[in-house]
Amino acid sequence: MTDGWNIVVCVKQVPDADDVSIDPETGRLNRSDAEAVMNAPDYNAVEAALELRDEVGGTVTALSMGPPNADAVLRVAVGMGADDGVLLSDPAFGGSDTWPTSLALARAAEELDADVVFGGEETTDSSTGQVPPGIAAHNGWAQLTYVEELESRPEEDKLVAKRDVEGGYERVAAELPVVVAMGFGENDPRPAGLHRKIYAETDFEPETWTAEDLGIEDEVGLAVSPTQVGGMDTADPVPREQEVVDETDELAEQIAEVL
Amino acid sequence: MSETPNYDSEYDAIVVGAGLAGSTAALTMARDGLDVIMIERGPSPGTKNVFGGVLYTPRIRELTDFDDAPKERYVAKKTYSMLSEEGDETSMSIAPSSWREEPHNNSWMVLRADFDEWFAEQAVEAGAMLVTETTVTDLIKENGEVVGVETDRPDGELRAPMVVLAEGANSLVSEAAGLKDRDDRDNVAVSVKEVRKYDREKLEDRFHIDGDAGLAAHYFGDGACGDAVGGGFLYTNKRTVSIGVVYSIEDAAHDKKTPDEVLEEFKQHPAVAPLVRGGRMVEYSAHAIPEGGPDSMPELVHDGAVIVGDAAGLVLNSGVHLEGTNMAVESGYHAGRAVADALAQGRTDEAALASYETNLRDSYVVENLEHYGWFMDTAAEEKEFLFDDLPRALGRAGDAYFKMDNTPKDEHVSEAKSHILDATGGWLGAAKKAWKFRKMLS
Repeated sequence: MTDGWNIVVCVKQVPDADDVSIDPETGRLNRSDAEAVMNAPDYNAVEAALELRDEVGGTVTALSMGPPNADAVLRVAVGMGADDGVLLSDPAFGGSDTWPTSLALARAAEELDADVVFGGEETTDSSTGQVPPGIAAHNGWAQLTYVEELESRPEEDKLVAKRDVEGGYERVAAELPVVVAMGFGENDPRPAGLHRKIYAETDFEPETWTAEDLGIEDEVGLAVSPTQVGGMDTADPVPREQEVVDETDELAEQIAEVL
Repeated sequence: MSETPNYDSEYDAIVVGAGLAGSTAALTMARDGLDVIMIERGPSPGTKNVFGGVLYTPRIRELTDFDDAPKERYVAKKTYSMLSEEGDETSMSIAPSSWREEPHNNSWMVLRADFDEWFAEQAVEAGAMLVTETTVTDLIKENGEVVGVETDRPDGELRAPMVVLAEGANSLVSEAAGLKDRDDRDNVAVSVKEVRKYDREKLEDRFHIDGDAGLAAHYFGDGACGDAVGGGFLYTNKRTVSIGVVYSIEDAAHDKKTPDEVLEEFKQHPAVAPLVRGGRMVEYSAHAIPEGGPDSMPELVHDGAVIVGDAAGLVLNSGVHLEGTNMAVESGYHAGRAVADALAQGRTDEAALASYETNLRDSYVVENLEHYGWFMDTAAEEKEFLFDDLPRALGRAGDAYFKMDNTPKDEHVSEAKSHILDATGGWLGAAKKAWKFRKMLS
């Protein structure tokens, strides 16, 4: 491929976790005071997408699903260096769980003729980590999750990932198209350049696509979402015993005893 | 990457800092049809700002729909208390009925994180652009003229005909660019403040306030902030109380106690402790305050740049009056108008911008600074009397005057008098001190 890869990076607007509190009586999250920001792990996804574009050429398109004001996260991505942005926004998407959400993103990635789709490890407001694998499943594409490092092989149309697995890592090569979920904190997201940031927040206008544009108006929304929230419980903190020991040997003995 | 336009010369003016002075300047210029960009280092306006708690609003009311602004409580009552180290309190309170009527003497407790964000939004709605999380690190100068700013971002230079410096008390950019000398240590105060959250009903009961009414309490004497020129304050918000101390950095540098220890002692004074008992600390902050008065104001106008707000040293502390926000707004307003007038003539030179300084000098801002400029110096000269001897003498005099024992009241009165006269240095000393401080209330 001479003109590089079509890289898509999925980003999500979430309430700033620092401002979210738990109502001690109802156990529900109180998000009303929280500022809407880009999901923190998505910064690593955008950075990985931009690094890949630096290596193989092509374009990076930021993709998000959300209400019209979610365009703010596309502007963050474009500020960092994404070429363009597409917002999937339609009242029909309302109440979608991870199944229809990943379907919508998968269809949009197809529409964008994606070679690689990036996502963050998980979102800070729902923490399922299901959406990147869901995109891969809906499209029948390869998936690389919990990725620490990437190595591109454009001549073979392959992407090789170093993946975090229990007890160590593994290296996996996937054929394009592939969905990559970057591990949180695995790279150093770049700051937006000043002029790029001004452009992203003023003159840049993302495209907006509806469910109908993607031909999935009957396959999204609350009604077709298979998961339901049954209830909420708050777990009480467990009191922990504390003890100060004077000698390291004594500490070692106690640890050995517990083990 | 898709093409990035270059925004040099796309804006008529760059405003450094989106606090009260910066947003007022931006709002004024944007309303005048200028293209304005505000550059703010915090994640949103107000997050980096610290003040005691009262916003004075006459000009803000003219410029905005102030009824929509996020406010806490209006000042329904002010108290001034002398606290001695030994635990005495002598106080006076003022609660004119007119303060309970609109517009509440234009004095509102606000939380800056809420108010400044809303206020900057008013500038954005008027057409100004706001860039956050971006720190201006230096000015670009050509042939002595300011032609733009450098920021901490990659590709971080931005040029524009005018720069408004509203960077606050710690004015590193103006200093680095040689537009302003570094403040002398004795012209700067340090403030430490915490915000404590309470149940609203409990807070209203504790301070005897209701509705939107609130209390602004000021404390002096070495029971308030130790062995230093300064004082303590307490302001009631809707569900929180702001409590803090402000005192000279010169004293802080020599004091063995750290500012947080000074605040902690103030909170433990018997006059204060019951007011802040319980609750939960939700915010803790510290900041510098320029209190140098009119003599330490820098040159406000330069070729291509103007300085406003705290960066221009526009804070008034007369002991009785503690003002800064109103002066920040006033300076931003006059600067914004002057910039618009100069640009309308196609000019950015110092002479074309001079109306800013003239109008500020004609306004109450500089007049008040000059009128009360003597206070900080006199307070420093009379530190021991004002902050140590007087609070103790008042406490003892009060004790003596109202004493219940088996002696006639005549003796109580003369004992009370002797406590005061000891502190002032006799009748002659009292007269001298009264003369010295006569301007405090004039």
